[in-house]
Amino acid sequence: MFFHNFKYSLKTLFKNRMLIFWTFAFPIILGTLFNMAFKDIESSEQLDIIDIAIVENEQFNNNEMYKEIFNNLSDKNNEDRLFNINYTTKEEASKLLEDEKVSGYLVYEDGFKIFVKTSGINETILKTVTEEIKQNEIMMNSLTEIEIKNGNYNYEAISNDIMAIIENSEANIEDISSSNLSYTMIEFYTLIAMTCLYGGILGMVALNGCLANMTNNGKRVSVAPIKKSKLIISSLLASYIVQVIGIALLFLYTTFVLKVDYGNNLPLIILLALVGTLAGLALGVFVSAMFKTNENTKTGIIISVTMLGCFLSGMMGITMKYIVDKNVPIINKLNPASMITDGFYSLYYYDTETRYFFNIISLIIFAFILISISIFSLRRQKYDSI
Amino acid sequence: MIVFKTFLKVLKSCKTPIIMYTVFLVVFGGLNMQTSDTATSFESTKPDILIINNDEDKGITKNLIDYIKDNSNIIDIKDTEEAINDALFYRDVNYIIYIPDNYREDFLNNKNPKIEIKSTGDYNASLAHMMLEKYVKVANTYNAKLDNEEEIISNINKTLSVKTEIELTSNLDTNNLARATFYYNFMNYSLLAGLVYVICLILSSFNEIKVKKRTIISSMKTSTHNKNLLLSNGLFAIILWIFYVVLGFILLGDIMFTTHGIIYIINSFIFMICSLTIAFLIATLVNNKNAINGIVNVVALGTSFLCGAFVPMEWLPSSVINIAHVLPSYWYIKTNELLKTIEVFNFETLKPIFINMIVILLFTILFIVITNIVSKKKRKIN
Repeated sequence: MFFHNFKYSLKTLFKNRMLIFWTFAFPIILGTLFNMAFKDIESSEQLDIIDIAIVENEQFNNNEMYKEIFNNLSDKNNEDRLFNINYTTKEEASKLLEDEKVSGYLVYEDGFKIFVKTSGINETILKTVTEEIKQNEIMMNSLTEIEIKNGNYNYEAISNDIMAIIENSEANIEDISSSNLSYTMIEFYTLIAMTCLYGGILGMVALNGCLANMTNNGKRVSVAPIKKSKLIISSLLASYIVQVIGIALLFLYTTFVLKVDYGNNLPLIILLALVGTLAGLALGVFVSAMFKTNENTKTGIIISVTMLGCFLSGMMGITMKYIVDKNVPIINKLNPASMITDGFYSLYYYDTETRYFFNIISLIIFAFILISISIFSLRRQKYDSI
Repeated sequence: MIVFKTFLKVLKSCKTPIIMYTVFLVVFGGLNMQTSDTATSFESTKPDILIINNDEDKGITKNLIDYIKDNSNIIDIKDTEEAINDALFYRDVNYIIYIPDNYREDFLNNKNPKIEIKSTGDYNASLAHMMLEKYVKVANTYNAKLDNEEEIISNINKTLSVKTEIELTSNLDTNNLARATFYYNFMNYSLLAGLVYVICLILSSFNEIKVKKRTIISSMKTSTHNKNLLLSNGLFAIILWIFYVVLGFILLGDIMFTTHGIIYIINSFIFMICSLTIAFLIATLVNNKNAINGIVNVVALGTSFLCGAFVPMEWLPSSVINIAHVLPSYWYIKTNELLKTIEVFNFETLKPIFINMIVILLFTILFIVITNIVSKKKRKIN
């Protein structure tokens, strides 16, 4: 009997096209859209080569040092190349700026003067670099003064000495940040969370099929001489399997097609997916058992809970999760979508697994509580009339 | 009138999604961006930096911290390594500087002590890195020649206080224009989702076989019925559009009373008409009420993501932008983006905007033609 009901639950679920769309296709479509939209965000946030113009006037042309510095800064073979420079006249430069072909232009007349259209990062970099050039000059001058004060008058020796000092003064800075810093991954983690919880709809539909007050099928099976627990467990197992297949497809698609990085610990990733799916199932069972309304309203409740959870864990704006985590951490400690998202995040970003297991245990507790409450409400149901 | 009454009845049943799309528009399109004062002079970008100082806060160490503080936004974060790492991942800080224990002593002894940093690798972090590198380099240079700490510090500060003169050539209210653009871009989603959802639901209710049979045998002429239906839908579209425009006035303020504002409004009006025809087309193609929700999401979310309603167009990969050309939303959003940069309105600057609007209108005509063909075919089948 167990297997019989299991088989038919599976068949009914797979044949429900709406369900299959929301749990299988929709996450994949959304994932594709995320990928298209966010693929280039992070690389566009890196510093690009900045287009600038320099007005070629007599003063600039006569200053060999500046010419050399700017040549170096725009040298195509230079790894630290910052600028792409257009040497031109003042009119042309201001036209270029007007048409936004350059971020700004530089005029050298007794000191640098920069013309820009807006305040922004490229403009700030341009400003910083010209300041640095000037500051180096001042540094040379004051060092020379110090030398002269010390009684050294050999200008050539001084200048060579200073050059050597400046050359040897490179800062000793070491970057110790983790290489896994791609924050758009959070979008995909929330997508997995959403799919896990949407799976609750499958559980809800499967359970509705066993409830006498919900479906005709439920009425029929309720009068059948088999144990209720057997019936419900086999239906739920069927929906769990459909859910897992959906999640597995999404994982395969996101990993191999969209190149989402889930970290390297495959067993833990699978464990989190399975536990997350269980939490989704628990949500579906809870809603189905506790709310005495029609199927549409139940679906609505699951979707709203899921979307609210995903919103708080960063689906519509990645910083949302951070803001909630930082200011009202309790909300996301209770939010299953956030537990799943945070679990993937900790696998991806952190080396330690404490945070990951905290999330896994929270999810299990969440599922356990919801299922326990549901069991109490499902036991010994009797109807005088329906 | 009876058609309009029925229309209102069906409309009532879909108020929740409409409210939801509106809330999205207000929350993400209107309030999400902070209001800031209009800048009339140049303001340097300041990276968000966190300094973890393991040394005593005095002498050269203090001076370094002061310098960074002056040129960046110092972020305060709970002092646990996890909170710090989270802050870096979510870009609450761009750059973290760990000043090592005994930094001052080691520095003065010419040991060039190692400073550890964590960086998000974006342009703000690059700017922060340039800043730190510059400071340490200047400090090291003076340190090589001078022995007195105070003298070193005063020389460093004198050197680093040099500023380049910078002039803003445009007095465009970029902050508010960016907000307006974002709001109107987001309207792509709310307007499209709202119209497609409502019109599909209403037309499919009217097209239900039983209802349709009853309408056909009624005394009302089919053309009158259709005209009324069309008018009601059009009226709904206009009311929704006016509602969103008014919301825009409330959320965006003064900027909407300028020429820019008027063009935003005209542009959204044209797009509203186009959305209306898209909705009619989809409603003709799809009769299944259950499928509407899915289609609305795919159409509205899809076009919004592809055409840059959520993520700014300049950040999208060029392949996506190329695909987006076949969608009317692209031309609508392109106009909004253009408006952000136009300072003086003349024929030359308005020409691309007119072209975009004409493209949207061509799309509108195309959708009307397709709708007619499809509905004719369908009628024959029935």
